[in-house]
Amino acid sequence: MDISPILEGFGVVLEPANLLYCFVGVIIGMLIGVLPGLGPGATIAILLPITYGIGPVSAIIMLAGIFYGAQYGGTITSVLLRLPGEASSVVTVFDGFALAKQGKAGTALGIAAIGSFIGGTVSILGLTLVAPVVAGFAVDFGPPEYAALGILGVLLISSIGNGNKLKAIIAACVGLLIATVGRDTFTGAERFTFGSLNLAEGIDFIPIAMGLFGLSEILYNLEERHNQVHSPAKVGNVWPSRKDLGQAKGAIGRGSLIGFVLGVLPGGGAVLSSLAAYALEKRRAKQPERFGRGAVEGVAAPETANNAAATSSFIPLLTLGIPANATMALIFGALLIQGIQPGPQLVTEHPDVFWGVVNSMYIGNILLLIMSIPMVGVFVRILRVRPAIMAPITVLITLLGAYTVRNQVYDIFLVIVFGVLGYLMKKFGFEPGPLVLAFVLGSMIESSARQSLLIFGGDPAGFLTRPISGTIFALVLLVALWPLIGRFVRRKTPARVEEKISS
Amino acid sequence: MPTSRTAPRRILQGVVGAAAAIALTACGGVKTTSSGGGDGDYPSGNIEFSVGASAGGSSDLITRALAQGISKELGVSTPVLNKPGANGALAAKELQSAKPDGYKIAVQNASLFTITPLTVSPAEATKIDSFDVITGVSRDDYVMATNPKSGFTSIEDLKKAGKTIRYGTTGVGTGAQLASALTFGAADIKSTAVPFDGGAPNLTALLGNQVDVSTMQIGEAIENIKAGKLVPLAVFSKERIPYLPEVKTAIEQGFDVQVTQYRFLTAPKGTPENVKAKLLEAAKKTFATPEYKKFNEENSLTPMEVAPQEVLTSLQNDATTFKSQLDKFGISLTG
Repeated sequence: MDISPILEGFGVVLEPANLLYCFVGVIIGMLIGVLPGLGPGATIAILLPITYGIGPVSAIIMLAGIFYGAQYGGTITSVLLRLPGEASSVVTVFDGFALAKQGKAGTALGIAAIGSFIGGTVSILGLTLVAPVVAGFAVDFGPPEYAALGILGVLLISSIGNGNKLKAIIAACVGLLIATVGRDTFTGAERFTFGSLNLAEGIDFIPIAMGLFGLSEILYNLEERHNQVHSPAKVGNVWPSRKDLGQAKGAIGRGSLIGFVLGVLPGGGAVLSSLAAYALEKRRAKQPERFGRGAVEGVAAPETANNAAATSSFIPLLTLGIPANATMALIFGALLIQGIQPGPQLVTEHPDVFWGVVNSMYIGNILLLIMSIPMVGVFVRILRVRPAIMAPITVLITLLGAYTVRNQVYDIFLVIVFGVLGYLMKKFGFEPGPLVLAFVLGSMIESSARQSLLIFGGDPAGFLTRPISGTIFALVLLVALWPLIGRFVRRKTPARVEEKISS
Repeated sequence: MPTSRTAPRRILQGVVGAAAAIALTACGGVKTTSSGGGDGDYPSGNIEFSVGASAGGSSDLITRALAQGISKELGVSTPVLNKPGANGALAAKELQSAKPDGYKIAVQNASLFTITPLTVSPAEATKIDSFDVITGVSRDDYVMATNPKSGFTSIEDLKKAGKTIRYGTTGVGTGAQLASALTFGAADIKSTAVPFDGGAPNLTALLGNQVDVSTMQIGEAIENIKAGKLVPLAVFSKERIPYLPEVKTAIEQGFDVQVTQYRFLTAPKGTPENVKAKLLEAAKKTFATPEYKKFNEENSLTPMEVAPQEVLTSLQNDATTFKSQLDKFGISLTG
């Protein structure tokens, strides 16, 4: 491997102007990540005109910084306010918010920052060394593979909940149902749109998550405060202890790998990676019941994975010209504005852009880690703000964020509708997590399963005969039957011991 | 590197610009922008461009390039607001009910008026009568391509294969779907459409050889064609396209299929003549700038800077041709 372009890439990044753009990018990213709803997509869209005036390398370095910076910032609201800004941080909420309630918000944020840094860095190393190889893997994933992955994802959802299994399944079914709203992409048929053009496009993730998690929490707290005197949340230690770090170590390592691999897949890779990383940790844990009640690994695993996935989602864009998610589509657009066509030839035609951007991520991640450490102390103080002040501000930011996604007032009403639904769910003991995750995976499973069947000419056997989808389905079977196998193994071992004793 | 000296100032401008953009976005819902009262002093405020698609796509980039030029010519801000939804119908419905004063305008796609009506109820179809066309903008042609592993090099090869061809499309009611469907109808090839949710998944599927062929916009395919990762089979314009000069048109290959996407600048119906004239002049000046010409080339767009009447005639002709061809082959786009 010829490493001189890589080194030249470092030369490009270390130019003062580019360092500054990298810095500005990650700061903006982190700040907008903290604002619920206002994601990197909306921000980059607003900043797009500015990139006309600056060189391509600087522009993309800045925009990329906004993207991965937002991943760091997004954790903060998930932990402190129970507001996941993106589908990939929904899982972080479970243990993150639980830790915050126990006065260990600092631990959660610290672990997340370290995990994000390691996940991000591992992923950039992967991007540097094996990008073209992994890119080939991304196109081997056709509709049947996505369908299989989606089904595996749904199965994992059922295993991550801690509460009532039946209620989790009901919530997941509602999520699947909501995913069907909109005009069918295959036939153009209207499904549950009631003639509304707004519903024709389906319902976006942001209003659902903002409503079900954020607004519902605020509504619920309002009611609670009526009934009892609310003591301000304790803010204990601001930094994870050595014990916490030791506990999270394995989760961070495994999360990095899962995130890097799944993040390469266009569409849904990041969500699946955080889900899979969390589920894996829960499976491996000696006391799985700790999960959902403030397990450090429950924050470390998904946060590491989604950051690693965010970084590796650059691979399809930079090597194939395929934007893996909505934000990548914007960066794609920004490159076009600069007169650079992302595609297989990018690395040879514009090595400065390719390596400049890749290498800027090493620096950006270090900057983010350095910034995160003092910021944890600052953000944790948000919890000390009286709810009477915090609640209206959160509502305002949430609604504003939902508006910016499509510039439609209609989306604000959607947030309110889902806020009320989330409030009712909480009152009756339903968790919003399964609903939101099933919603995300539902549309993926439906469209990819139908695409697969069209490709197979209607013969479902194709799902099993293709190597990758067949393997995933085998895994699905294994996960589904695991409780049975587990019971079988457990029953067998003590029996044998008894035998030995008796003989 | 020359950028380093001016960079801090540019960043400052950037931050100011961002703040302004956020402020403008926030004002979008409230009618404060259209303050221009007298006809003579147009424009006296910001001209808002809405886009019926997400940021980053070709509709968005074209709008931004044009908006930037018009902003320079007329000396006002031209914020671009993305309002994706229902193939652009959502943004179109909003524009047609806006005040026809020239402060809310949009670049719109021909397919919304020529192809989408073939797939939705008549009540939902957007009608060109609700708008004033100011000028044509550019053509964005389609190319049908295949994975090199398939071994196909022409439409005739597909026919010879003697199997059901599975083709990827970018969704129901798109030009990509129509062009493929008409070609297979004309060539009498058995085929199944596999709709994907947009250009990126469609391209991914073709690169992974998951489908036999796909039709997409040239800008989406050209880099992979140049790199030899995709093989072009046909273009659907009347004549060959300068960006892919070796690729034969469908007509050349003996199939009477001509489908192109083109875009034009529109304002709500009843916009005053002098306002339209101002916009047309600014657009023409923008079209003539080297930056804009370069933008067209880099994005594989062919200029179609024609008079409104010509746009209307094209739309009318396309709509009738597509309808009669679909009827002739007995194809339904909503399969």
